[in-house]
Amino acid sequence: MLQMTRAIVPADEAPRRAAPALLAPLLAVVLLAALPPTALGAPPAGPDATTPAPPPGEADSPLATTSAAAESSPDTRGLDQEIQGLKKDVVDLNKDLFILEEELLFPANTQVAVFLSVDVGQFFGLDSVQLKIDQKEVINYLYTPREVEALLKGGVQRLYLGNLKVGGHELVAFFNGKGPNERAYKRGASLRFEKGVGAKYLELKIDDRQRKLQPEFEIKDWE
Amino acid sequence: MSWQRPNHPVWREVAQRWLCVAVMALGCSPAVQAELPYVLIGQSAPDFALHAAVGGNARLSEHRGEVVVLSFWSSRCTPCRTQLAALNRSLTTYHSAGLAMFGIGVDDDPAQARDFARSASVSFALLLDPAKGVSRSYQVDNLPMTVLIDRSGTVRTVLRDYSPESEQLYLQQLRTLLNE
Repeated sequence: MLQMTRAIVPADEAPRRAAPALLAPLLAVVLLAALPPTALGAPPAGPDATTPAPPPGEADSPLATTSAAAESSPDTRGLDQEIQGLKKDVVDLNKDLFILEEELLFPANTQVAVFLSVDVGQFFGLDSVQLKIDQKEVINYLYTPREVEALLKGGVQRLYLGNLKVGGHELVAFFNGKGPNERAYKRGASLRFEKGVGAKYLELKIDDRQRKLQPEFEIKDWE
Repeated sequence: MSWQRPNHPVWREVAQRWLCVAVMALGCSPAVQAELPYVLIGQSAPDFALHAAVGGNARLSEHRGEVVVLSFWSSRCTPCRTQLAALNRSLTTYHSAGLAMFGIGVDDDPAQARDFARSASVSFALLLDPAKGVSRSYQVDNLPMTVLIDRSGTVRTVLRDYSPESEQLYLQQLRTLLNE
């Protein structure tokens, strides 16, 4: 009711050239605005009121109702924080379990990990990599365009994680893809390495050899 | 231990044989095959990475969070072509709602599958599975076969044929999954 009167009150400021017939309803509106709210049947504003009246500045704002709703639900906010906390706990627990699983399945004294990285990739479009350790195929990985894009942006992929006993071993990697002029291209690289008591990390590197306009494949042994 | 001739009457033995034949015939009928439960329903969809007949490779796990439709086809399957066209129409409609679609060819000859894929003119990737590893993991027993996977990567629905009724069912199930 208060908002209605406020909306209509500016009409009272209309030019005085308005027809005399309009003066009666305008006067009635002004009188209604001047009356106290209790006289119009509105609930009394004060400490006993069940619903507090909005501040005058917020009454006209469309956000008034949403902000009031947000302020009036502290329980919901507390519940949201609690859910967020629980989610964080679950993520932390999952991470701990993942590390524990890796430590159990691939202990440091037998662990061997093979990583793959691509630099530039102008002369070679990676399609798949086949990995053999001691003449035995351990993985044959097919790359999607998204994965190749991630590698070209500098990502390093852990291609294989396994166990090897201490001693000498041979790693052979076959790279399949598209070479210069979009032709099918397959190259291999091999490395003989010695597995000690600690974990072994190897990296397959695909690089561009600018002088020969050819890709270069290299296996790097991280001590 | 000595062999003894069964002392059943002849008519009973004949009736038992006829019963066996009838049960076997019923088991081989398409109606009963269609009712066979699909064991992957409610289970996590087996992940795969396959070469595409045209375009780049595809991996299922990259599409977690999207509703994925897998359609198994062969170049020798006539309804497969009609179904792929119908699936393409639904992809055009619902792609923006988070729908991904793959056709998986089970032909032995990749060249034949590539020819089919080029002539199919669909906007989704047609993948090749000549080794049939993916077909085995999805237990494909009929062509065309369509598998619907929800946003969490769970197999929800399988359609083992193509007909106007099954297309209606497919669209109904698809809308349900997209709204989840």
